[in-house]
Amino acid sequence: MHKAPRSVTRADRDECRPIQGRRSTPLTRNRRIYAALLVPALALAVAACGVTPQTTLEPTTEAARTARDLLMFVFWAMVVTFVLVEGALLYCLIRFRRRSGDGIPAQTHGNTPLEIGWTIAPAILVVVIVVLTVPAIFSNARAASPDALQVRAIGHQWWFEFQYPEIGVVTANELHLPVGRDVEIQLESNDVLHSFWVPSLRGKLDMVPGRDNKFTIKPEVTGTFPGQCAEFCGTAHALMKFYVVVETQAEFTAWAETQRAERVPPASDLARQGEETLTLGGCVACHTIRGTDSAGILGPDLTHIGGRQHIAAGLLENTPENMRAWLSDPQGVKPGNTMVIPELTTEQLDALVAYMQGLK
Amino acid sequence: MATVTATAPDTRTFAGTAWSWITTVDHKRIAVLYLVTSLAFFMLGGLEALLMRLQLATPEADVVSAERFTELFTMHGTTMVFLALMPLSAAFFNLLVPLMIGARDVAFPRLNALSYWIYLFGGIFMNISFVAGGAPNAGWFGYAPLTDTAFEATHAIDFWAFGLQILGVSSILASINFIVTIINMRAPGMTLNRMPMFVWMSMITAFLIIFAFPAITIGLVLLIFDRYIETSFFIPEGGGDPVLWQHLFWVFGHPEVYILILPAMGIVSEILPTYSRKPLFGYAVVAYSGAAIALVGFGVWTHHMFTVGLGPIADTAFAISTMAIAVPTGVKIFNWIATLYGGSISFKSPMLFAVGMVSMFIIGGLSGVMLGSPPIDAQVQDTYFVVAHLHYVLFGGTVFGLFGGIYHWFPKFTGRFMHDGWGKVHWLLMLIGFNLTFLPQHMLGIDGMPRRVHTYAADMGFDLWNMMSTVGSLMIGFSFLIFIINALRSIRHGEPSGSDPWDGGTLEWTIPSPPPVYNFAHIPIVDSRYPAWDIKRGGGHTGAVATAPEADAEADEPDIHMPNPSYWPIVMAAGMVLAACGLIFHQAFILLGAVLFAISLIGWIEEPAG
Repeated sequence: MHKAPRSVTRADRDECRPIQGRRSTPLTRNRRIYAALLVPALALAVAACGVTPQTTLEPTTEAARTARDLLMFVFWAMVVTFVLVEGALLYCLIRFRRRSGDGIPAQTHGNTPLEIGWTIAPAILVVVIVVLTVPAIFSNARAASPDALQVRAIGHQWWFEFQYPEIGVVTANELHLPVGRDVEIQLESNDVLHSFWVPSLRGKLDMVPGRDNKFTIKPEVTGTFPGQCAEFCGTAHALMKFYVVVETQAEFTAWAETQRAERVPPASDLARQGEETLTLGGCVACHTIRGTDSAGILGPDLTHIGGRQHIAAGLLENTPENMRAWLSDPQGVKPGNTMVIPELTTEQLDALVAYMQGLK
Repeated sequence: MATVTATAPDTRTFAGTAWSWITTVDHKRIAVLYLVTSLAFFMLGGLEALLMRLQLATPEADVVSAERFTELFTMHGTTMVFLALMPLSAAFFNLLVPLMIGARDVAFPRLNALSYWIYLFGGIFMNISFVAGGAPNAGWFGYAPLTDTAFEATHAIDFWAFGLQILGVSSILASINFIVTIINMRAPGMTLNRMPMFVWMSMITAFLIIFAFPAITIGLVLLIFDRYIETSFFIPEGGGDPVLWQHLFWVFGHPEVYILILPAMGIVSEILPTYSRKPLFGYAVVAYSGAAIALVGFGVWTHHMFTVGLGPIADTAFAISTMAIAVPTGVKIFNWIATLYGGSISFKSPMLFAVGMVSMFIIGGLSGVMLGSPPIDAQVQDTYFVVAHLHYVLFGGTVFGLFGGIYHWFPKFTGRFMHDGWGKVHWLLMLIGFNLTFLPQHMLGIDGMPRRVHTYAADMGFDLWNMMSTVGSLMIGFSFLIFIINALRSIRHGEPSGSDPWDGGTLEWTIPSPPPVYNFAHIPIVDSRYPAWDIKRGGGHTGAVATAPEADAEADEPDIHMPNPSYWPIVMAAGMVLAACGLIFHQAFILLGAVLFAISLIGWIEEPAG
């Protein structure tokens, strides 16, 4: 069941295209059957991968593949068991249904060899599963290589903070990782339990306050992968999402360079007005914008908020309209969240949006 | 010494009837109280579920608020586990255990009444929270530190913590009562090896409760300390550890799963032989596998915690123990199927529910094996896959089994049949609705939908499965209405059933329906596992139910001595729950509760037991 790791690209979805035009090639009978099975399977895969971005069935790393392969193996083993057992049940129900004139059937009380047999059969099945499971447990728990990129992921109600201590980057809700390199992610929590889960990268691990959990990810494919908090953490648990952007080493280096820099100074009068509103308003109490007086630590670092793909913990795409909607009614967009925003005039909102969109 | 006739309240008036129920210590009437109350809570928990399903039917819906949603899933889980399914099982223990072992009541009849009243008041207490400032909202397993005052300053969590403590007392008292009853009060000749399988499973369940509840009791005490006197057992800033709560909860919580399923397994082990006209296949193995499940069940709890980060060694150990428990579970299923093999199977509604239980429980067991593998679990833990799995076990298993039990023993409770045709409609709708609700949830989990989310985005691909699931849940709700109407109608207008409508094999079918207060005019002597069959079929076991000489002498007297009705149990239960109210509303309640408790204790001791 352990397939050799194949090099996967996001473009793998191309596989999902129905194979057309091959009809002209003469097929042997076997290949014809194979194709007949493959086409619907691939069609299903298109349906699946096209519409479920957070699925566990499209792994892009060794760890996620191991879990997927194990899942598929155990799933099919369970399907076979299901068919056999339910089949036996249905057979008995149909074969031995009461017919008119039935007397009292033979009163069998048991059959020791038979019972020993069906104690051993499930035992063998679970032993097989255990034998396949244990190496997977240990390979998933492998330590990172010494040159691994270090990342601290910190759960907050209800957003993710990401720190890169070695390169001095702090960001939120969008984790950038270089492809092809071990990343050791240390999972922490600032308040309650959270769980770090990006299904295409690997299974989840909880963020437990007071405990140091860590795991290793080695991204193999570039792309943007959705993740979500998977441990109930209060009212807005459903809205605590994030994205992992896997990029080439060069792109990653450039990104880190940008992130390290102070904020881009406002480029227009409107944006300048926005910066003023922000730093003079209450925002500084919780948010940091490096290069300004804003140095709060309770909320996400906003120094480069304009450059992120999403805002509000992966909830909304980062567009001026969404930014405006978020600033107008944060509790409406994300119930329970603690951001306090004073009554803003339309001009102030325009200014804030313009300013923050410029913080690339 | 009082007799049945001398102390029975005047039941011709409404007040007299009410008083007779309030003071009853008759296990059969307490069973009815348990049944009615647990079905009411089942309906409440079901309504909570339907509200959640309506909210999740479409993406980004706004049927209920996010805050309300957290209350709904917390109270749905808590209600279904502690207020609906456990007490529904208790209704069966109460009705059946004394009847099946040939006893006239349980060992401690007043304690039995106390268990019920504590349960009723505890359930009401917990649900008062909805109108008293907010219902519990941290999930049915209330993971620390979300339950701390820092994150929930209102009394929501206190209602939950005290409510569970109160219900725990009820469960432990009932368990002690049934263990003593089963061990001491079996009819002459009924060795452990001849006990009906339901009684076996009841006894194992009672032992499980006694050993499992202390863990959650301790956890809740520590939680209450953390909330009330600022200790920090679960608070890392004070040196505590939130994971400690998880261990304490699941050391209780996993056996709790077996507490919920074993009674249903017991019921199915009675129904399948009856409607196949064959004894249970491999009786000893079915009993021992129940005990094995219970024992191993204490050694698998961290499979609920594979994603906590306990390390590969712990994960491996608990994966192995979890896989091991699949073996005795599988054995039970094979034995049930073998019971059907070669039988003469009649498909009355109880049988359909029992077969439904077996076939749905198989699915829950198989998805359980998948979850038992930590690398798989790391992906699907805390997703809808787990929601699907647990409902296949607790709904597909427990609910189907218990409903089968209701249809099967309704004639024994009332002397009338439930309508079989409508019973079959109920079964079919529930079976289809159940699978429509929960089968798609496996896919949702695998496709990445976490559980306990009040909404999901439209672009996640969860729409279709969620809509199917909601439609299914409405079907389940509808099927339950059919059941309720059928049951209410059948109480008065059902076809009279006589004492033994199903050709039953166990002792309760040898006495009239509904049974007389004293159950057995003559205490039977038992010399086989299916004494009622022996009487009816003759053969090798003629005279299986004979009369014990001493019982004969007793029966010659005009009155059979039965315990007095007593109002002390309800007073004592009220005292306990009032004291808990004191820690939430006003301290004066503590005093009031303590005084009531003390008075009832003295009254209880001084009261002639009859």
